[in-house]
Amino acid sequence: MTDLLRSTTFRWALGIAIWSVLLVLATYSFVYWQTAAYLREELAETLRLEVRAAAADPAATAMRVETWIATDLHATHFGGLFGPEGERRSGNLGAVPDGLARDGDAHRVSANVDIAGRALRDEIWAAALALPDGSTVVIAHDTDEIDRVQATTLRALGLGLMPTLALSGLGGLLLAGRARRRLAATEAAVAQVMRGDLRKRLPVGGGNDEFDRLAGNVNRMLDEIERLLGEVSSVGDAVAHDLRTPLTRLRARLERTREQANSVAEFREAVDQGLAWIDQTLAMVTAVLRIGEIEHGRRFAGFALVDLAEVVREAAEFFEPVAEDKAVSLDVAVEGGIPPVEGDRDLLFETVSNLVDNAVKFTPPGGRVRVGLAREEKGVVILVEDTGPGIPPAERDQVFQRFYRTERARQTPGNGLGLGLVAAIAKLHGFTVDLRASPYGGACFAVLCPQGEAKGREWARGFAGRPLPTPDVAPDPRGGTRP
Amino acid sequence: MARLLLIEDDAETAREVHGDLCGRGHVIGWASTGPEGAACARDEAWDAIILDRMLPGLDGLSVLQDLRRAGNRTPALVLSTLGDVDERIRGLRAGGDDYLAKPFVLAELAARIEALLRRPVDTRETILRVGSLEIDLIGGTGRRGARDLDLLPRELKLLEYLMRRPGQVVTRTLLFEEVWNYRFTPKSNLIDVHLGRLRRKLEAEGEPSLIHNVRGIGFTLAPDD
Repeated sequence: MTDLLRSTTFRWALGIAIWSVLLVLATYSFVYWQTAAYLREELAETLRLEVRAAAADPAATAMRVETWIATDLHATHFGGLFGPEGERRSGNLGAVPDGLARDGDAHRVSANVDIAGRALRDEIWAAALALPDGSTVVIAHDTDEIDRVQATTLRALGLGLMPTLALSGLGGLLLAGRARRRLAATEAAVAQVMRGDLRKRLPVGGGNDEFDRLAGNVNRMLDEIERLLGEVSSVGDAVAHDLRTPLTRLRARLERTREQANSVAEFREAVDQGLAWIDQTLAMVTAVLRIGEIEHGRRFAGFALVDLAEVVREAAEFFEPVAEDKAVSLDVAVEGGIPPVEGDRDLLFETVSNLVDNAVKFTPPGGRVRVGLAREEKGVVILVEDTGPGIPPAERDQVFQRFYRTERARQTPGNGLGLGLVAAIAKLHGFTVDLRASPYGGACFAVLCPQGEAKGREWARGFAGRPLPTPDVAPDPRGGTRP
Repeated sequence: MARLLLIEDDAETAREVHGDLCGRGHVIGWASTGPEGAACARDEAWDAIILDRMLPGLDGLSVLQDLRRAGNRTPALVLSTLGDVDERIRGLRAGGDDYLAKPFVLAELAARIEALLRRPVDTRETILRVGSLEIDLIGGTGRRGARDLDLLPRELKLLEYLMRRPGQVVTRTLLFEEVWNYRFTPKSNLIDVHLGRLRRKLEAEGEPSLIHNVRGIGFTLAPDD
C-alpha cells in the first residue's frame, strides 16, 4: 500500500479526483447562488407590488392586507396595518418589525407573527409603506420557502459530492492500479534484461498508446543491442576461427618440417610458407583494427576536398590489369563537373578499390564491371556494377557485417572484411552504401555522398578541436616530399 | 653503409631491428628512452633516425619536434602501434619523413630506410637511362635498345620511380604510395600484376630481365649490362 501511495500514477489519480470534486463544487455553488438569488428577487418583486397596491388606496388597505393573508394556505403570508402610534389595526403581524424602512422595498427582518392564534418570532421578508394618515402598511412573506430551497440545493450538493468523490477516487485508483500493473510488468522485464537475458522484451499492449509506443521503442532498442552484441560475439568467433586456420596449418607445417626436412632449401621453403601464412593472419588482424579505428575514432585528420572523379578513375585503372588477366571488361563512366567532396582521399580510394576488387573477383570471365560516378537527386553517387551472380536479397544486409561471406564467396580467397571496411569508411564520411538492382544483372553497390549537408562542418570542428603539433616543415601528408 | 640511430623502448623489437639492419651493413646506435634518444640525436651525426612513437620519458613526436626546431634535418622514420590514419599525419606534421605502423615487416623497414638514405638519381633529369633501358619523361616514350616500348602513363611513372633508384629494393607498399600516391596496403598481388605487365613489355623474347622479384620483399630494377 505504501508503494501504491508513493507511486506517481496514484498521486496523479488522486489529483484528478480532487480536481473533479473541485469542479463539481464550483458548478453546484454557481447553481445554488443563482437559484437562491432568483427566488429572492421573485419574492421581493411580489412584496413590492403588493405593498404598493395596498398603499395605493388607503380606504381599501385593510382589506388588501386581509386578502393577502387569506390567499395563503400554508401560513406563509403576513401583513399588517398599523396606526400612527404603531397600534395594529389589521393583519397578523404583532407590530411593525424593528428597523424596517418604509420604502416599499423588501427587507429581511425578524418579527412577531400570529399563526393560528399563537404569537411566534419568525424571520420574514417584509416591505412597508407609510400611508398619508401616518399609518403603516406591511406586506411580508415567510423566509422558510427560500431557506428550504437553499437547504435542498445544499443537501443535493452534499449528496452528489459524496458519489463524485467516491467514483473519481475509485476511477483514479483503477487507473493507477492499471498503470502500476503495466509498469510492474515492464519493470520485471527490464530487470530480467539487466540480469543479462537480452532476449526478454517488454510487454506491448494492443492499444498503441504512449506506453505501448514506449515499450515498442525500448524493444526495438533491445533488438538493436542484441543484434550488435551478436555481431560482436560472432566477430570474435570469426576472428578466432579465421586465425586458427592458418595457425594450425603453420604449426603442422613446422612440425612436419622439423621431422622430415633435410636440406636448407627445404627449411627455407617451409619458412617462406610460414611467413606467408603469418602475413595473412597479420593482414586480417590489421583489417579488424582498422575497421574499429575508423568506426570509433572519428578520424578526420586526413580530411580535405577530394576529387571523386580522379579517385574513381584511378581506382578503376588500378584494377584494369587484374580484370584484363581475368578477361573481365572494366568500364569507367564518370559524369563531368562533379564538385569535390570533403573526405579522406586514401580511405575513399580504399572504398572504391574494395568494391571494384569484389566486383572483379565475383564476375566470371567474359563478364563486365562498370565503375561510375554520377549525380543523383540526393547527391553524388559512386556506382560499382557487375555481371556476376549478384547477392541474394536475403543476404543484402549481412554482407556489410564483418566476416560475413556469402555461400559463393566462401570458395574464393578473402577474409570477409572488405565490405565491413567500406561500410565503416562510408559511415565516417556520412555517406550511405546500399545494394541496388543492377541493370547488368549482377551486384550493384552504390555509395551515396549527400551534397550540401553539415558533415563538412563536423570534421572541421573535429579538426579544430584537436591541438596538433606545429610543423617546422610543411610536409605533404601524401608523403610526396620524401627525398 | 650508414649510421642509424634507433630510439625504441622495447628491447626485443630493438634487437630484431638491430640484427636486421646490421646484417644489411649499417651501423646502429640504440637509445631506449625519449631523453636519451634526444641527447644521442643532438650529440652525434647520424644518417637517419628510427624512432618509436611511444617512448618513456619523452614522447617520440616531441623528440622529433625538438630536433627539427633545433635545426636538425636528419631524415626520420616514425614507428607506431597506434592507429595509422591520424597517427601518420601527426608523425609527418611533427617532422617525420616517413611513417611505419607496427607490426611491420623488417624488409619493409629496411627498404624505407634505404629510400630515406638514398637521394633519387638527379631529379631534374628528364631522360633516364639504366642499362639498355631509356625513358623520356617529357615525350612520354621509352626504348629498350632499339625497340620502342608502348608504355601507359602509369607504367612510365612506375619505371621512373624504379629507374631513379637502380639496384635499390622497393617494397610493394612503397611503390603503391609513391607511384599511385595513395596510402594503404592493397593486396600484394595487385602490384605484382602491374609489375608483371610492365615486365612483359620490357623483356621481350630472349632479353635479359631488368626488373627482379626480391622474394618476400618487393622488386628491384638492375642494369642488364
